[in-house]
Amino acid sequence: MLFLHLDSLGKSFPGLDNPVLLVDFLAIAAGERVAVTGGSGSGKSTFINVITGLERPTSGKVVWSGEDISRFSETARDRWRAEHVGLVMQDFHLFPGLSAVENVLLPARLARVADTPMIARAHDLLESVGLSRPDQKIETMSRGEMQRVAIARAVLRKPGVIVADEPTASLDVEAGEAVGRLLFDMAAEAKSMLIVVSHDQRLIDRLDRRITLSAGRVVADDLREEVAA
Amino acid sequence: MIRFILADLRRLWAGAVVVVLLVALATALGVTVTLQERALRLGSARAADKFDLVIGAAGSETQLVLSSIFLQPAPLPLMPGDVLAKLSKDPRVAWVAPVGFGDSFAGYPFVGTTRALIGSTVSGFAEGRMFEKEGEAVVGAAVKLPVGAEIKPMHGTAQMGGETHAGVVYHVTGKLPPTGTPWDRAILVPIQAVWHVHGLGHGHERQDEQHHEGEVAAADHPDEDHDHHGAIDADAVIDEDFASEAPGLPAVLVKPKTIADAYKLRQEYRNGNTLAVFPGEVLTGLYATLGDARMVLSAVAAGSQGLVAAALVLVTVTHIGQRRRQIGALRAFGAPRLSVFMIVWLELFLLVALGIGLGFLTGLAAAQLIANAFTVKSGIVLPVGFTGEDLRMALILLTVSAILAAVPAILAYRQSPAAALRA
Repeated sequence: MLFLHLDSLGKSFPGLDNPVLLVDFLAIAAGERVAVTGGSGSGKSTFINVITGLERPTSGKVVWSGEDISRFSETARDRWRAEHVGLVMQDFHLFPGLSAVENVLLPARLARVADTPMIARAHDLLESVGLSRPDQKIETMSRGEMQRVAIARAVLRKPGVIVADEPTASLDVEAGEAVGRLLFDMAAEAKSMLIVVSHDQRLIDRLDRRITLSAGRVVADDLREEVAA
Repeated sequence: MIRFILADLRRLWAGAVVVVLLVALATALGVTVTLQERALRLGSARAADKFDLVIGAAGSETQLVLSSIFLQPAPLPLMPGDVLAKLSKDPRVAWVAPVGFGDSFAGYPFVGTTRALIGSTVSGFAEGRMFEKEGEAVVGAAVKLPVGAEIKPMHGTAQMGGETHAGVVYHVTGKLPPTGTPWDRAILVPIQAVWHVHGLGHGHERQDEQHHEGEVAAADHPDEDHDHHGAIDADAVIDEDFASEAPGLPAVLVKPKTIADAYKLRQEYRNGNTLAVFPGEVLTGLYATLGDARMVLSAVAAGSQGLVAAALVLVTVTHIGQRRRQIGALRAFGAPRLSVFMIVWLELFLLVALGIGLGFLTGLAAAQLIANAFTVKSGIVLPVGFTGEDLRMALILLTVSAILAAVPAILAYRQSPAAALRA
């Protein structure tokens, strides 16, 4: 069970006057389901990159369950991310030439952690995301199917947090709906924290909390009303 | 990891094939040059192996060896016949054999010589027997004539406008086993017959002919040569006890009894009129020239290999640039940096190693092909084969390509995944 808190976080890039991200304090509890929204250039991607350890913040702390990953080395951050973060991206980043199940297992295999139970889990996951042919080549799949493979890959190692960056943006309404549902189910099953960057209002509405970014700052942080009477 | 690399290569198969072919061609070029030069050296050395000492008239050492051992048709000056007589009485000599050239049949050179030479340079007969009479001939293994065939020698060669000797017919009595030397393509006849055909050596009455231009030289002046053509007495017994009245000779092959004798004889017959050489010594001089030629060709080959290597690095660095997103994604999903490095490195190294392997095989095949063509033409068997030196070369090439393949791999290793995904 992972929980996050950010402390005096800042990220700037050389050549830019203003920092692209500036968060004084933010805490996300374990198992919480959060939407991150904001216009383009609002710092959403940088936010994702920094909390997943893909980028090191210029200042401040990124503390996951007591560990400040911003002080890890690059290799250590890679290892930490592989273990704790399930990433789902807008354009899937699946690898052509490999089958669905090979794609699901690829990161684990490259990290040399794919054992027999994990391979069995990969097959189970593909089945539970509704794909019956694990050996189908990835390039012969529809976009909706590809995103489902990507979700199976993200949750393979039962990550403490699932981070989805515009997971439905390149899908039609129906496929988007299915993918959204899957994300919820998978996060619930693994009791993972779910952070979704999205413009998809229907997806956002189903999440517990909505953080709105603008110019790198948190401008709104709302808890959804449980039941509107 | 291997499966990922293979999937990647299958997707980019056209580029991969081009890379492999480029590397293979560049490697094959260098390998062919090396193998061919070595084969030529070994082959010619083996061809000259049986002949310890060659004595001819003063002139070019190289030409003497080329004509007498490699049977290259060229005019040789003649030395007096009494050299042969003196040598055959010399106690330091195991055997001595005169050789006479000038005639040919269907492109095969005739060599007039003795039974002693044939008997002591080849072991036995593949078929038939030794010549016993003046009208009999023994053919080398590569001569396409059956035992029992009749051959009419032509003066000079057909290309030089030679003419068939009227009334001269030899019967093939035997075929020699292959020796891998130019003598495989030769028709061997008694030296006595060669003299008689050319109107020489009929005892004292023809002594005046002794200093006439040699048989081979005569090929250049067929017309003035015609007037003293003789015929052979096909049934005459061969006389190989050379008296002092032997006619002028282009060369004699000498087998000294000991190495010390060889050096003494060589010393003794290197005077104003005669020239004595160890074929090996002359070949060493030729190899030096051959080595220079190989150096130039090897430099050309190395240059082309360098160009291919540079082109490869350029292509892969560009390719890595195009794959930044893919590599970034691999990292983002949790592939360790070292895996990313290994993937890029292995992918390129596999291609280059495959190319080098293919290149060595292609080079071997090409050298073998050239060697075979050469053997058909000259009779000299060129032993083409790899040695430890080639193994070392292959290891050097593989090491260099392993280092080169690391360049794009390091680029991929150092790339920030976030920046790559943003691109």
